[in-house]
Amino acid sequence: MIEALISMLLVFMIIAATIALEMTDLLSAVISIGAVGIVVSICFLLVGAPDIASTQLVVEVLTIVILIRATIRHDLVTIDGDREFFGLTVTIALLLVFFIFGLKAFWNLPEFGVPAISEFPDAASNHYLLKGFEETGSRNILAAIIFDYRGVDTFAQLCALFAGIWGAFAIMRVQSKKKKKKEDLYHDKK
Amino acid sequence: MDNLSLFISIPAAVAFFIPIASHRFKWFPDVSASVTTFILLLLSLMTLNHETVYRMGNWPASYGIVFVLDGFSCMMLIIVNLICFLAALFSVDYIEKFYTSKLRYYSLLLLVVTGMNGTILTGDIFNLFIFLEVALIASYTLVGFGCSSRNLEASFKYLAINLLASYFILLAIALLYGKFASLNMAVLSQLMKVNPVDNIMVFAFVLLFVGFGIKAAMVPFHGWVADAYTSAPAPVSAILAGGIIKALGIYVLMRFVYNIFGMNYLISTIFIYAGAMSIVVGVLMALGQWNFKRLLAYHSISQMGYIVLAFGIGTPLAILGGIFHILNHSLFKPLLFLNAGSVEYETGKRNLNNMGSLSKKMPVTAVSSLIASFSISGIPPFSGFWSKFLIIVAAIQADKPVFALWAVIGSILTLASFSKIQRYVFFGKGKYFKDEVISEVKEVPYLMRVSMIVLAIFCSFAGFLLLGGLNGIFGPAVNALAGGTDLYITRILGR
Amino acid sequence: MIYTLCFILFVIGLYGVVCKKNIVKIILGFLIMEYSINLFLILLGWRKQGFVPVVENLAGVENLVAQSVDPLPQAMVLISIILGLGILSLMVSIAIRLYQRYGTFDITEMNKLKN
Repeated sequence: MIEALISMLLVFMIIAATIALEMTDLLSAVISIGAVGIVVSICFLLVGAPDIASTQLVVEVLTIVILIRATIRHDLVTIDGDREFFGLTVTIALLLVFFIFGLKAFWNLPEFGVPAISEFPDAASNHYLLKGFEETGSRNILAAIIFDYRGVDTFAQLCALFAGIWGAFAIMRVQSKKKKKKEDLYHDKK
Repeated sequence: MDNLSLFISIPAAVAFFIPIASHRFKWFPDVSASVTTFILLLLSLMTLNHETVYRMGNWPASYGIVFVLDGFSCMMLIIVNLICFLAALFSVDYIEKFYTSKLRYYSLLLLVVTGMNGTILTGDIFNLFIFLEVALIASYTLVGFGCSSRNLEASFKYLAINLLASYFILLAIALLYGKFASLNMAVLSQLMKVNPVDNIMVFAFVLLFVGFGIKAAMVPFHGWVADAYTSAPAPVSAILAGGIIKALGIYVLMRFVYNIFGMNYLISTIFIYAGAMSIVVGVLMALGQWNFKRLLAYHSISQMGYIVLAFGIGTPLAILGGIFHILNHSLFKPLLFLNAGSVEYETGKRNLNNMGSLSKKMPVTAVSSLIASFSISGIPPFSGFWSKFLIIVAAIQADKPVFALWAVIGSILTLASFSKIQRYVFFGKGKYFKDEVISEVKEVPYLMRVSMIVLAIFCSFAGFLLLGGLNGIFGPAVNALAGGTDLYITRILGR
Repeated sequence: MIYTLCFILFVIGLYGVVCKKNIVKIILGFLIMEYSINLFLILLGWRKQGFVPVVENLAGVENLVAQSVDPLPQAMVLISIILGLGILSLMVSIAIRLYQRYGTFDITEMNKLKN
């Protein structure tokens, strides 16, 4: 039942993603990507990850706001067509090879609905589920993992978020180079 | 020195503190960055000849996160922190002259240090991915720090290619997790030995090879290198060449190959061919360049080829050569980038044709650059000779004389292009050189001189570190890789 | 089957990154790749009739091991979502500045480096 529902949602996402990439109007493309994000959030809710679903929803809203900030003030001159990287056909052929090669790996995974932790009894997750409450005192095992067992991940994640936002401030600063005295430093003239 | 968490907590804490304190104290960013990186350098020197496993939060390895210190990671820690310290010293005057917003610069620089130290030490693949992202996100901004159109273009190119690589790596981690339900490197290694090779492991390895190959600037994936190195401020180019492509690229790749997946004939062949290609393609692209920094960037690709070739051969002698070449490349390439930065600091030029006769006006820069050039092209008493010599001998011993010859050819071409730099910049004159350019030129400020002199001294005398050979100072590092998966599993899991 | 659909989504994102020449489209391609990997990770941990990993009554802890979904991918995804937000803000700010410099989002017109 839930498999069919998630498959349908995934097909919807694939369609929306294709629309987002192929739409010439940038604003519509951003809205389509918003649809993909919201459906991802619904999928999280369906497979027993409510915390992630709410986080995804909040981040999705922020994403849309940031992306609209990038597109709305600028003229929406349509930029059609694709990049001539090696030529479009060669690139798509390479992507297809990658896809077919990867497909074999994806078919070897355990069946959907039977996670790998049931196959490996001494996997880390089983320990978290069994001893998590006893050892950390948190009823939510997810909280026990991100704040205690794997707290370094959270620390590093905050560093990355800080680097991203602080970097965005640095990139957006008004005057970035000192006034040059004699000649243009970066354009060597003859 | 057993508390390995200091390597990530000190730089991150200072990085967060710089924006707060700098509004009141103008001197704070300069001083704090240099002092912090110096403390980290001392701490990393104290880890020499130690081997320990530090449990974060005291959770055991199978379900917590561990930081692993063995010979190889200790070597990388010393290299990375040395380069970051010297680059921070060099930045004091350089950034002051060209760029605004010093506090953001130093804050991001320290985050790069955090990310690299974390990547080197961690023993958990997902944790590794996040630390890698910390270092990369901070470096994306540093590459585009000037915000001119070229800087931004290079920064976006660098960001796009490396983010693609990061998502490949994340997909590989997800696949491995889906198969083995574990993130710890030692546990994964153990499970991979027990289970037969299947499509998931092959595809995950391909994804990891492409992802880290992009970060290590191997030849099919080297597109971002030249632009990013050319556009970044000189000390950041030094960190990119001496730290980021080593710590995030080659180091992690070798950990995966030797300690997790296990080396075999096929992987070894792939590495040997990739390395051989990198050596020649990099040097050929460099020969025609007239931009000082772009020339150095292409040489980076070529020198990384030697390292990949050495690790591909995989005998203990070759691994010794590879590790020593990592050290050497982290000494002479940052030195050359700092030289380029000094020349730019004084003359404002980057094109070789516009410079000339600087040896009289800038003796320290000229002499240190001469030493670095000798070292990179493998002239005997300097450090670069010994590592190339080791790699060539190892190639002959492993019955691969073609690749030994190939490495010699690469070395000769390197010499050719560096004699070009010496001729046009320091001892001769460029085509469009005008005398008024150098009329006001003088030697660079003291701090910049200090970092160049230190690197030049290391370049001259690093050959002595090889004394003792496989039992010398590099012994534990070679053992850590040559011991393969078994040694790594025993060290972390204790069984 | 479901994993395959996730992989198709990933390849679509890859296509957007490699082939499109509008910077905003490239950013959207990266977003699609991120969504697909996050979804794939969460789906890997799903168990048939699985619970949310929360301890409701203390007696049922053994029950939890047999019936809960895998909590570790959820922790990974939580971190990767926040990471994606940081990268996105940086990417978008670079794109806005590039627009200011070149007056277009077309990446093929940004070729000052080549000269």
